[in-house]
Amino acid sequence: MRNKALLGGIGVLLGWEIVARILGIPLVLPSFLETLKRLLDFIQEASFWLALAQSVGEVGLVLLLVLSIGIPLGVLFGMRPGVLAFCRPLLAIIQAVPVISWLGVVVFSLGIGWRGPVFISTLSLLPMAILTTASGVRSLDETLLEMARIYRVPRWRRMRVIYGGALLPFTEAVIDVALGNAWKVVLVTEYLCGDAGLGVLIAWARQGVDTPGIYALSAVAVCLGIASERIFRNFRRAFRGGKKTCLS
Amino acid sequence: MPFLIRIVDLGIRFGDHQVLQGWNMDIRRGERLVLLGQSGCGKTTFLKILSGLRKPSEGSVAGVPSRVGFVFQEPRLIPWATVGKNLRFANPSCPVEDLLARVHLSGWAHSYPRELSGGMQQRVNLARALGVEPELLLLDEAFGSLDLRHKFSIMEDLLEFWKRRNCTVLMVTHDITEALFLGDRILFLEGTPSRIDGEIKVELPPDRSPWSPEFLEYRGAIIRRFLETSKE
Repeated sequence: MRNKALLGGIGVLLGWEIVARILGIPLVLPSFLETLKRLLDFIQEASFWLALAQSVGEVGLVLLLVLSIGIPLGVLFGMRPGVLAFCRPLLAIIQAVPVISWLGVVVFSLGIGWRGPVFISTLSLLPMAILTTASGVRSLDETLLEMARIYRVPRWRRMRVIYGGALLPFTEAVIDVALGNAWKVVLVTEYLCGDAGLGVLIAWARQGVDTPGIYALSAVAVCLGIASERIFRNFRRAFRGGKKTCLS
Repeated sequence: MPFLIRIVDLGIRFGDHQVLQGWNMDIRRGERLVLLGQSGCGKTTFLKILSGLRKPSEGSVAGVPSRVGFVFQEPRLIPWATVGKNLRFANPSCPVEDLLARVHLSGWAHSYPRELSGGMQQRVNLARALGVEPELLLLDEAFGSLDLRHKFSIMEDLLEFWKRRNCTVLMVTHDITEALFLGDRILFLEGTPSRIDGEIKVELPPDRSPWSPEFLEYRGAIIRRFLETSKE
């Protein structure tokens, strides 16, 4: 299976090289080798590593905020359907507002810097985290809660064992989706209102008509996205293998 | 025999629909009482009142002990917790292996409910109820979904526990054989809203054989009673 994936990857790169040569317009599609050369140039520059660190930090902060705000709010909304119904229009608006529409508010209130990308990215992902978690709470087996009440299980243990266990697959789904989207949203918002990061480097490359640079930086972003999903998948496998439930 | 629980003029209403009305009874300490009635006559609702999940619409229930075990109709095990953790969920200090040995499930503490058959899950359901060291054990049609072999085997486990602990057992069922196998007093539920319509004392030894002439005689008498009541 792993060999097939590797062969598939090599196939994509070969296809890229062939199409670029046939097309013959490096401004639109530079060749793979040219892009690789540009990438090698980047990794020798300190500014690239600083930008990379900034983007990784912003993605990490966005994930932390989305999970630490989204999951508790999702649990609350799932337990109190009335509150969810009241807040749903607001969530729907936040979910539907395009990233670019936040720019005015963010640039004038937070200025150019890391705060804007973090704020916009968090807002973009938060409704998904809240609504997914709330669905998890609503799908909880009521008979288990009834059983817990009959046995007078303390509220904290009830929350930890029943809610925690039932929400685990939903939390994993939230992390999966957030990880997949966080890189895209953070890079776009850096591009639009950041002062550093891979998104800003892409903006500079675009201004300098450095197409191989744009492709090289995009490839870095894709690799980071795939790597973070792999790390999460391995972590999840290790967690499920060693500690199958949230009961201590 | 002193009474443990006293029920006076108990009534339950869901909106305009009266489910039970005018129930009066004493549940004696250490007895095995069975409520025998058709489906939908409010048996489960009555158990919910005894276990503190519901409040009666009318009347009063006094003397319910704090340690109540409940064997549900379906196992209600936490799917993501092992058998041992399911038992400890109800009582963190319960002796897991000892409880599992009592219900013939030694060595299954680290298995998940999905790895157990329906009968084994129901045994865990019973073990969890016994694990709280109940003063009152409630059984809600607990054996209805089991095949005959599992049904009698689990009921024998339950009788074994009762002999050791002599706790009070209250079972609701519509199955006459279950009622006669476990109960030493049977109350009949009739009508809509349901009311208590007589009782019989089962004067059989705790170790009962469901094919003994005495057992079959009781069974016949109960069936006759139901048929006569339904004609009326």
